[in-house]
Amino acid sequence: MAVNMGKETYAHIQEQLNQADLSAMPGLSLSVLRNIMIEPIEPYLRYHAYLMGYNAVVSFGEYDNIFQEAAGGDDRLLNRQTDCVLVFAYLDTLSPDLARGFSALNPEQAAAEVNRVQDFAEAVIRGIRAQTKGLILWHGLEISGHPNLGIWDSQIDTGQTAVIHRLNDFIRDLLRREANACFVDMNLALIRIGAGNFYDRRYWHIGRAPYTREALAEIADEDFKFIRPLKGKNKKCLVLDCDNTLWGGIIGEDGLSGIVLGKTYPGSAYSEFQREIVNLYHRGIIIALCSKNNEPDVWEVFRKHPDMILKEEHISAVRINWNDKAANLRGLASDLNIGLDSMVFLDDSEFEINLVKKELPEVAAILMPKGKAVEYRQMLASCGLFDTLTISEEDKHRGAMYKAEASRKSLLTQATDMEGYYRSLEMVVVIRLADEFSIPRIAQQTQKTNQFNLTTRRYTEADIRSFVTHPDYDVFYLDLKDRFGGSGIVGTCILKYEQDRAIIDTFLLSCRVLGRGVEEAFLSRALKRAKGQGCRTTVGEYLPTAKNGQVAEFYPKHGFTEVNPGNSAGHRVFHFDLQMEPGSEPAYFKEIVSDL
Amino acid sequence: MKDRVLKIVSQVLNVPIELLNEESSPDTVASWDSLKHMNLILALEEEFGIQFRDEQIVEILKVGLIIEAVKEFTAA
Repeated sequence: MAVNMGKETYAHIQEQLNQADLSAMPGLSLSVLRNIMIEPIEPYLRYHAYLMGYNAVVSFGEYDNIFQEAAGGDDRLLNRQTDCVLVFAYLDTLSPDLARGFSALNPEQAAAEVNRVQDFAEAVIRGIRAQTKGLILWHGLEISGHPNLGIWDSQIDTGQTAVIHRLNDFIRDLLRREANACFVDMNLALIRIGAGNFYDRRYWHIGRAPYTREALAEIADEDFKFIRPLKGKNKKCLVLDCDNTLWGGIIGEDGLSGIVLGKTYPGSAYSEFQREIVNLYHRGIIIALCSKNNEPDVWEVFRKHPDMILKEEHISAVRINWNDKAANLRGLASDLNIGLDSMVFLDDSEFEINLVKKELPEVAAILMPKGKAVEYRQMLASCGLFDTLTISEEDKHRGAMYKAEASRKSLLTQATDMEGYYRSLEMVVVIRLADEFSIPRIAQQTQKTNQFNLTTRRYTEADIRSFVTHPDYDVFYLDLKDRFGGSGIVGTCILKYEQDRAIIDTFLLSCRVLGRGVEEAFLSRALKRAKGQGCRTTVGEYLPTAKNGQVAEFYPKHGFTEVNPGNSAGHRVFHFDLQMEPGSEPAYFKEIVSDL
Repeated sequence: MKDRVLKIVSQVLNVPIELLNEESSPDTVASWDSLKHMNLILALEEEFGIQFRDEQIVEILKVGLIIEAVKEFTAA
């Protein structure tokens, strides 16, 4: 896990990479454009990829050839297979005047240099994008702890620091306008370890390599906060132990007034930690509890303790009992309909952490060290496991959505028949063609959905936009509401037309709406759309992954016929003859709204 | 100490330790180029908790010389 990487030595990381059988892992193609020597970062990048289950191939551009390779073209570095382009445009090389000779510049000269750097960034970003759709990670400019103008620099808005900040803002804006392009704030990595640990003057002078080993590790950490969500490997759910994790002490023994939690030391450490958990909740992370307690004791703390910052409403699912935690985590994953590999589990007990590591290696299990509650907030804030490339409106409401899901489950236990249960939900399904507003969420769905996903093709916003404007493609989405609230966009379908056939390139649904017959309505509308476009056959594919076993029989169950069964790779192809009527839509939806 | 140096060299250059000795250098080890030399310096400094002087970095291009340089720091 990334959280442990700080403990690995540079030699040991290389040793592990030498020993590992990387050939069985899927490839991750990283290209580095740079105007400094940055090759020693390679083991860190490859190691992060390895921990994520990928075999990274890192290709370095020539020294100080960023512009030539981006604007001039370089098929070796920038091509259709490129997953990610890392740009290191270091100011000392880019503009020695701005970096080291700032006080000698008059305002006109400074402005001319700024313009030159801006034009450079613009041309480079445009040039990279013309060659690859891969993620662009542009490493921003670092500010200096000792600006050339000394203390005067902070008094004026034309100083060196202000100019560097404005250049960073400019580059950030360029990247924001590009799809699949992000700004990596190098100053964050610099602040975390301090300038004294960040730069190595010896190798800067010997070989134009400015960064220390610690800096390279920190930069690679930062880069993989972007690359993990690119590959759908970010964590979605935080599972928490209670006693000595959320508060100090044991509620069953110390009682409500005896546990450690409050505004002053030592309880303030737990309050701070809880505040950080609530931050994650508002970023769309699902919060769950898994603890060995009497359940009423835990809820008493949540309801009655005046200093609880984490509230009952933030919690989407719980397993509070005396069973083993591996079994409980499995139960939580099934309740929430998420994969175990999207969970992070925190506990202060070494026994529980080791058990989970052994039984469920796919869960990120993190030990909260005893007697170090003051570090808990920082541990959680720095783990970098929950980062997503964007935080959408959907994400901000996700906690409420999962809460609603829990309410639905309790209604389900009261319902005597499924049909009656579905009717009681008063579901409204909206199926529409993708537009500018829905494209980001649709791309996010293709990147994140693993279980109900027939082909698991990952697309960027730029990909989706190109399908939307392409005459041979249709992209549409499904939005679901019910009496407990809206789920937002939860389904995506991409049809590709080839002569009189419609190929279902992508068909996926978010796991939180499964088991409500939504897929039948969605498929039936997709088939009608294909027929309306003049197609005679619809082709469905199933590409098996470790996660999508539940949809292996989806097409045959819905009237499709398999073509050439017994394909060795498990890749299955099905046909649906559009002369036939698509299966009927479930009658229990309150309404199906569609512009198809 | 010699063994620890040999181990680091073997790990960073991805060469079996049996093939290395005090005479090993960029001339005898194919993967020991100037870039890998930088990785080697980073790994050695971390392993021994030391910082070579800048002129040493470009001079210690032989396992024997590395061992001498490390000794200078660890003996003091």
